[in-house]
Amino acid sequence: MKTSTSLMHSIWIAENDLRQSFMSVRHVVWSLLFPIFMLFTFSFRYGVSGPDVEFINFLIPGIVSMTAMFGSINETMSIVWDKSMGVFDRILAAPVSSTSIIVGKTMAGAVMGVISALVLLIIGSTFFGVQFANIGAVILIILLASFSFTGIGTIISGLASEPREAMMLSNLLRFPMMFLGGVFFPTEAMPMPLPYVAKALPLTYATEAMRTIQVGGNISIIFIDAVVLLVHTVGTMLLGSQILMRIMTR
Amino acid sequence: MLVIWKREKPLENAIEVKELTKFYGSLLAVDHVNFEVKDKEVFGLLGPNGAGKTTTVRMICGMLRPTSGTVVVAGFDVSQKPREAKRRIGLVPDISNLFGELSAKVNLEFMGKLYGLDKKTRRERIDQVLELFQLKERQNDRVKYYSKGMHRRLTIAAALIHQPEILVMDEPTSGLDAQTARLVREIIIDLNKEGRTILLTTHQIAEADRLTQKVGIIDSGRLIALNTPEQIKNSTEGMRALEIKILNGADQQRWIPIISEAEGVDKAFLSEGKIRILSKDLAQTILRVVNLVDKHGGKIENISVVQPTLEDAFINLTGKSIREEPMSKEEYLKQRLPRSGLR
Repeated sequence: MKTSTSLMHSIWIAENDLRQSFMSVRHVVWSLLFPIFMLFTFSFRYGVSGPDVEFINFLIPGIVSMTAMFGSINETMSIVWDKSMGVFDRILAAPVSSTSIIVGKTMAGAVMGVISALVLLIIGSTFFGVQFANIGAVILIILLASFSFTGIGTIISGLASEPREAMMLSNLLRFPMMFLGGVFFPTEAMPMPLPYVAKALPLTYATEAMRTIQVGGNISIIFIDAVVLLVHTVGTMLLGSQILMRIMTR
Repeated sequence: MLVIWKREKPLENAIEVKELTKFYGSLLAVDHVNFEVKDKEVFGLLGPNGAGKTTTVRMICGMLRPTSGTVVVAGFDVSQKPREAKRRIGLVPDISNLFGELSAKVNLEFMGKLYGLDKKTRRERIDQVLELFQLKERQNDRVKYYSKGMHRRLTIAAALIHQPEILVMDEPTSGLDAQTARLVREIIIDLNKEGRTILLTTHQIAEADRLTQKVGIIDSGRLIALNTPEQIKNSTEGMRALEIKILNGADQQRWIPIISEAEGVDKAFLSEGKIRILSKDLAQTILRVVNLVDKHGGKIENISVVQPTLEDAFINLTGKSIREEPMSKEEYLKQRLPRSGLR
C-alpha cells in the first residue's frame, strides 16, 4: 500500500475519533472542567487572601502540561471503548494497515492534548495575565508532551480489556504523576526519594520546560527537556504499538 | 434492489476455508474446519453460542490470525493479501457497531473513505444505500438516537458502501423484533438475488433452513455436517419425527425424561412448546408413548407425524439442542480473548 494512502487512512481515523469526541459536548466540557477547577482551587494559597500572583505564574505552566496529559490519555483510551463497543472491529475489517490504525489513534490523542492545553493556556493568559516569552517553543513542548502522553495512553489501551479497567489503570498513572510531576509543588522541595520518582515522569519535563519558557530561562534546559520528552515518546509509542499490534494481528 | 457491479472474472468459490484452526492459549476454538462457499450462494454456519462461528468469521474477514489453515476470499489468501481480501468482503457483525455520536451520513462517509472510494462515488453510494434502507430522512441524526431496527439497517448499509461481492453476516437477526428480523431476511434474499455471495452465521435453525442453500453445522469448533438443508434433514436416515402436546401440561418439559424412557424413542426434546420425538420405528413408538403418558396420568391433546426438520438433524448429529441459555465461562472466554492485549 502506498505511504500516502496509509497516511490518509491515519488522518481519517484521527478525524473520525476527534469528530466523535467533539460531537459530545458534555465529554469536552467535563474533561476541561477538571484542570480549570484545579487551576482556580490551587490559585489560592493558605494564609494569602485573593489569588497569589507569584504562585499563579508558577502554577499555569504545570496546569497546561497536566491538561495535555489528561486530554491525550483520555482521547487515546477511546481505543478501549471502541473495542468494547465493537467499533474497533469495523476498522479492523476494512482494508487498512495496523500501522495506519495506530498512527491515526495516536494523532487523535496528540491533537486532543494540544487543543486542551491551548484552552488552558488561553484561560491562563486571559484571566491571570500569564505571558510566555516564546509561543512557538510553548506549542512545540505541548506537542511533544501530548505525543508522549499518547504513548502512555496506547499502552493502557492495549493492556486493558474493558473501559473500567482502563479508567483504573489510567488513574493509577495520572494522579500520582499529577502530584509528583512538579505541577503544584517544585520537585526539589519534595522529600526523598520523590525527586527521583519525578525524574522518571514525562510530566516533570513538560512542566519544567514550560516554566523555563515562561520565565525566559536557560534554553539548554528547554532543549534537554524536549529531548527527554522525545525519547519518552519514542519508547512509549514503540511499546504501546507492540501491544496494540498484538491485539490487531492475533 | 442494489446496484449490480461488474466482476472482472467469475469465480467458482467465493470463499475457501481449508483446515482452519484457532487456539486461544490451550483452548481450541476452531478445529480443522473445511468448507467452500460457492459464488452467489447463501451459506449458513449453524451452531450454538460458543461453537466457534464468530471466531471462524473473524478469521475469514482477516480480523484474527488462524493458528493454522488457510482462508481464500475471492481468490486472495487472507493471510497473504489481507487488504485485497478485505476489499471484497462486507461485514455485518453480530452487534450494530456504529459510531453513535456521529450521523448515519458521517458513519457511511468514514467507511467509504476507509474502502478507498473517491468523493463523488462516496456521495452517490451514500445516497443510494440511505434511500434503499429508508434512512434518508434521518441521515443527519446521531446514530445513538436510532431504533434497534434502524441500527441494523445502517449496519448492513455500511457493509455495502464499497459494493462488496461477498457479504459476511454474523447472527444478522439476533436480538431483533419479529418485524425487523423479517425485513433483514428479505434484504438478505434481495442481496443474494442480485448476485452477491452471502455467508451468514446463525443459531436459529429456521433461519438457516429458510435462507441458505448450503449449511455447515459447527459444534465445539468442529464442522460436523456440511450439505444442503434438505440433505441434512434427510441425513436422519429413516428417522421419523412425532410431535405431541399433553393436555394441561403447562410444563411440557417434565414429560421429556418420562417419554425418553419409552422403548423406540431415540430422542425426545421440547420444540416450540411441543414435545418432539425422533424414532426409527414410529408406529410402535406411538403406541408406547401414548400408554406411557396415560400411565403417568397425562392426556394427549394433540399428536402428529411430521417431516424431520433441520433442528431434528442437528439434535441427531450433536446429541443436544441449539440453546439460547447464557454462555458458559469457557464460551465467554473464547469470545472475549481476541479483544484484550495481555492474553
